[in-house]
Amino acid sequence: MVDESTRKTLSNIPLLRTKAGPRDKELWVERLKEEYQSLIKYVQNNKDADNDWFRLESNKEGTKWFGKCWFFHDQLKYEFDVEFDIPVTYPTTAPEIALPELDGKTAKMYRGGKICLSDHFKPLWARNVPKFGIGHAMALGLGPWLAVEIPDLIAKGVIHYKEKVENT
Amino acid sequence: MADWEEIKRLAADFQKVQLTSTTQKLSERNCVEIVSWLIEKKLIDLMFTSDGKEYLTPSQLVTDIQNELHSNGGRINLTELAKIIGVDYAHINSHLHEVLKRRKDIHFVLGQLIDSTYITKIAGEINEKLQQQGQINVGELTIFYDVPSDFLQQQVLEKNLGTLIFAQQDKSDPKTFFTENFIARSKAKMRGSLSGITRPTPVISILNQIGVNEKLFFTLFEQVAMYGSLTSKLPGAQYVPNAYSRSQTEWVTNFYRQNSYLEFDALVRIGISDYKTYLKRLFGNDNLLFLSSCVVAKNILDRVEADIDECISSKGYVDLQNSLPSVFTSKDINLIVERLLVGPKQQQVVLIDDLVFSKGFMNKLSNLCEETVRNNANLIVESGKYQQYIVDSQGNQSKTQKYDEAEEKVDKREERRKKASGGKSGGGTQGRETKTKSTKKHIRGGHRNDIEDEPTASQSKRELIIVSSDEVKELIVGLLEEEDVDHLLDQIAQYLLPKLNEQGHQIAAEIFKTKIADQTANRRKTHADHQDKLNELICEIRLFTKGIKLFNGDTQVQLNKYLLKTTCSDILTEILNYISLESGLNTSTDNFNNEQRLKFINELPSEYRVPLQPLVKALSGQNIDDFTSTLETAMSSCSMIVKKIDKKKDRLIVLNYKHKLLEELALCEDLAVVLHLAVLVIFISATQCMLNASGRHVSSILSFLKQFLSEDQFSELTSYYDFVTLMLSNGSEAENAREKLKEKMQTVKNLASEYKLSSHEKTV
Repeated sequence: MVDESTRKTLSNIPLLRTKAGPRDKELWVERLKEEYQSLIKYVQNNKDADNDWFRLESNKEGTKWFGKCWFFHDQLKYEFDVEFDIPVTYPTTAPEIALPELDGKTAKMYRGGKICLSDHFKPLWARNVPKFGIGHAMALGLGPWLAVEIPDLIAKGVIHYKEKVENT
Repeated sequence: MADWEEIKRLAADFQKVQLTSTTQKLSERNCVEIVSWLIEKKLIDLMFTSDGKEYLTPSQLVTDIQNELHSNGGRINLTELAKIIGVDYAHINSHLHEVLKRRKDIHFVLGQLIDSTYITKIAGEINEKLQQQGQINVGELTIFYDVPSDFLQQQVLEKNLGTLIFAQQDKSDPKTFFTENFIARSKAKMRGSLSGITRPTPVISILNQIGVNEKLFFTLFEQVAMYGSLTSKLPGAQYVPNAYSRSQTEWVTNFYRQNSYLEFDALVRIGISDYKTYLKRLFGNDNLLFLSSCVVAKNILDRVEADIDECISSKGYVDLQNSLPSVFTSKDINLIVERLLVGPKQQQVVLIDDLVFSKGFMNKLSNLCEETVRNNANLIVESGKYQQYIVDSQGNQSKTQKYDEAEEKVDKREERRKKASGGKSGGGTQGRETKTKSTKKHIRGGHRNDIEDEPTASQSKRELIIVSSDEVKELIVGLLEEEDVDHLLDQIAQYLLPKLNEQGHQIAAEIFKTKIADQTANRRKTHADHQDKLNELICEIRLFTKGIKLFNGDTQVQLNKYLLKTTCSDILTEILNYISLESGLNTSTDNFNNEQRLKFINELPSEYRVPLQPLVKALSGQNIDDFTSTLETAMSSCSMIVKKIDKKKDRLIVLNYKHKLLEELALCEDLAVVLHLAVLVIFISATQCMLNASGRHVSSILSFLKQFLSEDQFSELTSYYDFVTLMLSNGSEAENAREKLKEKMQTVKNLASEYKLSSHEKTV
C-alpha cells in the first residue's frame, strides 16, 4: 500500500465532488474550480511543511497542464519538466503524468515519458472517482515515483546534477 | 461566463500560492542535515539513538545511565541499558568509564553495573541466609547471585564482614564463612559421634552420619579429638578410637608373649596395615625377625636351631613344619633357615620343602646309589658314549676358545685405535667418538652373547646322563619310606642326581683313563710286532732274490714276478693292515686284489697315500729292487724302521726255511707238491740260497740243479717230474702215472732229505 507519509499527505488534500470532464461545459467549470481549490490547498500544505516540490499551470480551458517538479538528493536539487493532458473521460480515467526529459532513461516509463504508476494507483483512483483530482494524482503518482526512481537513476549515473538549476 | 472568470481568478490564486516563498521553517529533513553537518565538522558532540531519530549529548547519556541504574535497584546489564536508553551499545561502552569515574561506588562487573545500594542489599540477604544455614560458601552465592566469586568475596563479603555480615571466615578456606553458632553445633556433633565410635571407621562414613563438612571436620578435629586419632588428614582417612587401639595393642602383645610369633595377616585383620612400623614401635627392633608372612621371636629361632643341630648330629632329618607354628609358610621357613644356617652349618644340611636333611642322611642315600653309578659309568665307557661325549665337549670348548681369542683380538685392536684417536683429536670430538664406539661395542657384545648361548644349550642337551632320576628314585625309595619322607622322593632325587652324575663322571673318567692307558700299550706292542714281521719278510725277500739271481734269463724274470706276487704282496698287506688298525678303519686288507688296494690307499690321508702309491705300482712291475727301495719310505711313513742286514742271521733263516720245507715234505701226500718241495729243498742244500718258486718253475729249477746232482738222482727226479706232468695233463696215462708216482714218492722224499747230506759232503 501507500506509505504512511503519503497517506497523511493525501488525507490533507481536499476531496472533489463534481464528476465532470472537459466535455461537460458547465460542470467542467465547476470541476475545474474544485481542482484549483484543491491544488491551492495542497500547495499551501506543502509549503507549510517545507515540502514544496512542484510548480503547475494550465491552459485557459484547464485541459493541458505543465510545469516543473524537483527532488532533493544528497542536498542537491534535481529539477524536471512535467506535463500532462486531462483525458476526455476524466475523472474516470486518471491523467497520465509525463516527464519528457527522462524519456528512454528508465524502464519504469512509457513512450513519451509517461511514468509507470504503481499497481496500487489505478484501483485506488477507480475507487475514488470523482473524489480524487489533479492534486491527488500528483501526490499519489508522481511523488512516490520520484522518490523511488530519482535516487536510483542518480546512482546509475543516468542523471547528473546541473549547476544552472537554481534553488528557489 | 462568470464561472470561467472565477476559474481564471483561481488559476491566478494558484500561481500566487505557488510563487509565494516557502515559510522559513526548518523542516525535519533540514534539521537532520544541519545536525549531521555539524557533527561532521566536529562542532558538536552528539550521538544518535538506536532508531536514528534522536540525538543525545554525552552528559545526558551519563545521567541516563545513572538514573537507569538507580531505577533498576542498583544492578543493570549493559545490553539492557542500551535497550532502555535507546542508544547503541558502543556508546554506552565508551561512556562507561566516565560514569565509573564520577561515581566511585559503582562497579563494573561482567558487563553489568552494580552500585553500593545493591551490594548493601545482597550483603543483608547473605547475612540472613548465613544466620539460617550457619555456614555459607562463596561458590553457592556466586551461583545464586550470578556474579563472579572474586567480586562477592572482596566487595561484598569481606568488606561487610562484621558490619552487615556477622560470621567468621574459615582460615583454611577463605571462601567459606560460618557463624559461631554453627561451629559450636558442629563440634558438639563431632564430639558425640567420635566418642560413640568403638572401632576404626572411615571418616567419610562419620561425615555422612553427622552431616559435617569434610574440611570443617578436619579443622575442628584437633579441638574435639580426645578419644582417638586419625590415620591421616586426607578424605580417605580412618578414625581410630583410642579404646580400640588400646585393645589392639593389648591383643598383639598378649599373642606375641604367648606364641612368640605374630602373623601379618592377623595384624591386617585387626586393622594394622602398616604392621612393620607398628611392631617396631611396640616391641623395639631387638629379637624380631621379619619373615614374609609373620614375625618371630628369638626363642623360636633358638628352638629351630637346636632342632637342626640335633638333626646334623643324628644324621637324620627334621621337619620344620612340625617344629614351627602352622601359620608359617615355606617361604618363611626358608628365611628362618637362611638366617640360622650360617658358616659351617650351612654345609651340613640340605633344605628340601620345609624339611632339613643333614648331609649325613644324604650321604646315606647317595651311598645306596653308588653301586649303580659305578656300573653305569662302566657301561657308558664300554659302549663308547663317554668317548663321544668327551670329543663333543672338547670340540665345543675349542670352538668357544677360538671365539674368545678372536674377540680379544678385536678388543685389543679397538683399544689401540681408541688410544690413537684420543691422542690425535681434542676433547670435544673424543666425546662423540667414544659414544658411537660404545654403541658399536654394545651391539657386538649382544651378538656375542647370542652365539655363546647356542653352544651352551646344545652342550647341556649333550650332557651325559649317567644315572637317570628314575633309577635314583628306585634306589632310595626304600630308605625314604622307612623314614616316612617318601613324599619328597622327587625333590630328593633331584637333589641327589647332579651329585651322583658328577660322581659318575669322575668314575667314568677314571675308567676311561685306565682304558686309554691299556690301549696305548697295546698299540705300541702291535706296532713292534708288525715291524718285526715286516723285517722278517724283507729279509726273506733279500734271501729269495739272492737265490733268484743264480738263475738267468727268462727264469729269473719269472721268478721275480712270482716273488712280487707272493711275499711282496704279503708285505704290502701287512702295512695296509697296520694302517687300517691305526686309523681305526677296521677293514681287513688280507684278501684285497691290486685294484682294491689302490682304492683303499687313495682314500687314506696324504701322509700314507703319497709313499704307498709307488709301492703298489712297483708291485705290479718286475723289479724287486724297485719294490724294496719304495718299501723303505712307505715303512717310515708308518714310523717303522728297516733293520740292518745281519749276515749271521741269514744262515739261520735259511736253515729254518729248509727245516720248514723238510717238515712239510715229510708230511706231504700230494704227489706234485712232493716234487716241488723236494726240488726246493735240494736247491737250498745245493746253493745255500732260499728260493721261492711255484710248481711251474720246477722244470727250470731241475735243469738248473742238474749240475749239482748225480745221474741217478737227476734221472729219478726227471722221471718223477715226467710222471707228474703226465698225471696233471689228465691223459689216459694219468692213472697209471699216479700209481708210478706213489711208488716213487718215498724215494723222492728220501732223495731230498738225503741230498742234504751228500751235498754237504761235497761242499765240505
